[in-house]
Amino acid sequence: MPMKVRTTGYFFRQAFKSILRNFWMSVASVATVAICLFILGSFTLLIANTNYIAHKVESDVEIAVFTMVDATEKEVESVGERLEGIDHVSSIEFISKEKGLQQLNKKFGKEHDLLKALDGNNPLPDYYLVKAKEPDKVPVIVQETEAMPYVEKVNYGQGIVEPLFKIANWIRVGGAVTVILLAVCTVFLIAVTVRLTIFARRREINIMKFVGATNWFIRWPFFIEGLFLGLMGSAAACLVLYFSYNFLADKIILTFAFLPILKDAAVIKRMSLIVLGGGPLVGALGSMLSVHRFLQV
Amino acid sequence: MIRLINVSKTYPNGVRALRDITLRIKKGEFLFLVGPSGAGKSTLIRLLFREEKPTYGHLLISGKNINRLRKSQIPILRRNMGVVFQDFKLLEDRTAFENVSFAMEVLEYSRKEINERVPHILKLVGLEDRQDYYPTQLSGGEQQRVAIARAIVNRPMILVADEPTGNLDPDTSKGIYDLLMDINRGGTTVIMATHEWDLVNRTSLRVVALDKGQLVRDGEKVLFAHEG
Repeated sequence: MPMKVRTTGYFFRQAFKSILRNFWMSVASVATVAICLFILGSFTLLIANTNYIAHKVESDVEIAVFTMVDATEKEVESVGERLEGIDHVSSIEFISKEKGLQQLNKKFGKEHDLLKALDGNNPLPDYYLVKAKEPDKVPVIVQETEAMPYVEKVNYGQGIVEPLFKIANWIRVGGAVTVILLAVCTVFLIAVTVRLTIFARRREINIMKFVGATNWFIRWPFFIEGLFLGLMGSAAACLVLYFSYNFLADKIILTFAFLPILKDAAVIKRMSLIVLGGGPLVGALGSMLSVHRFLQV
Repeated sequence: MIRLINVSKTYPNGVRALRDITLRIKKGEFLFLVGPSGAGKSTLIRLLFREEKPTYGHLLISGKNINRLRKSQIPILRRNMGVVFQDFKLLEDRTAFENVSFAMEVLEYSRKEINERVPHILKLVGLEDRQDYYPTQLSGGEQQRVAIARAIVNRPMILVADEPTGNLDPDTSKGIYDLLMDINRGGTTVIMATHEWDLVNRTSLRVVALDKGQLVRDGEKVLFAHEG
């Protein structure tokens, strides 16, 4: 479909005329596109942040390797040597049963003496705190240490990390469902807007057909209309998302200092691309639907 | 130029609009298509510019089988054919000039070509002083002249007019008929559907009559008896 410059101008004029003619319908389409994409963008950012937090927590995870309570000093030392031999381990800290008891005492309060209460028997095992170089190597290290002799139990942050990933997954699924439903609504709304235009211009279209205008010549203005409505919606969504996210992120960083929040440009850029691409896509789909159904050329 | 070979058309609702029509129209001919309403005149015209496809038979225009035309070729067929309707089909929000130039704009003619050609054609149909009038400011006959100007502005080989005088008084009708005759003298094949027997009876031109979808008369040859 070769397009001359003059003709392109004609298409754009027609498209904008239609948008102005159905002004409130166009505004409604743009608004729904914007709302749909705003939600899409919010979910994108929410998922990115949950993943980020989960990874952050995961990389801070320490693996606690408890030796058997009745292991001798030699045996405990051998566990330490073996731990040093494992790949991907960044640091190992030994915590003796005495130190462990001290830490417990601290937790319970200054005046407390657990040892006394336990009749001088320290029931705690010696243990090692192991840190992994990369968070995803944690399971491998855990597996290896569990197989070692004199090791009673291996603990790591599965209690924190796994729920976090689960939450991220739920957000992802919920976000996808919401976004798909909204996208379908938007496609239909744009289809209705374009259909109004087709209806308003049906006499013109009819004349175009019988004087021999090509099908693409007749269709282009409607595609441009849909694309433009979509683009306007995505631009609005992008602006609102950008400012509200930055505002919210600053607030959260100030109030919940411990929560790691993504504030780097790459994430916002990726979100903007998804949002900006989504609008025209939805717009084109909507106009295609109407053109296909109501423009039998 | 145009050949119909055993053409039949049955609409999806079961109405048999045309039955076994065989007809040959020569280049440069002026042909009247007559018959009472419902005889199949409009269907035949819709077949010609490929608004409908025949159910049976073949329709050839300039040697091309219209049934086998691909969708993308339909516009090319229509560029070689001007169409005029009983209800003019003018755009109310455009002047006479703009209504005619619209047909050139959508075929991507340049402004320069349009500005040269449109006044020339409007003069040909006798509307040189009505260029800037809107359809509502024009009489029925003048509106039909605008429609004819639009139909011939792209120099079609064939001009098809479906009851072009149906809404006009006898004097105005005569004027439109004379205009179509002028266009025919310029070399354009003209097919005019009408049910105005006065007009037809006075002419020595070829008359094709349809009744209930059947060809009942071609020229002087009466194929079937028909009631006027």
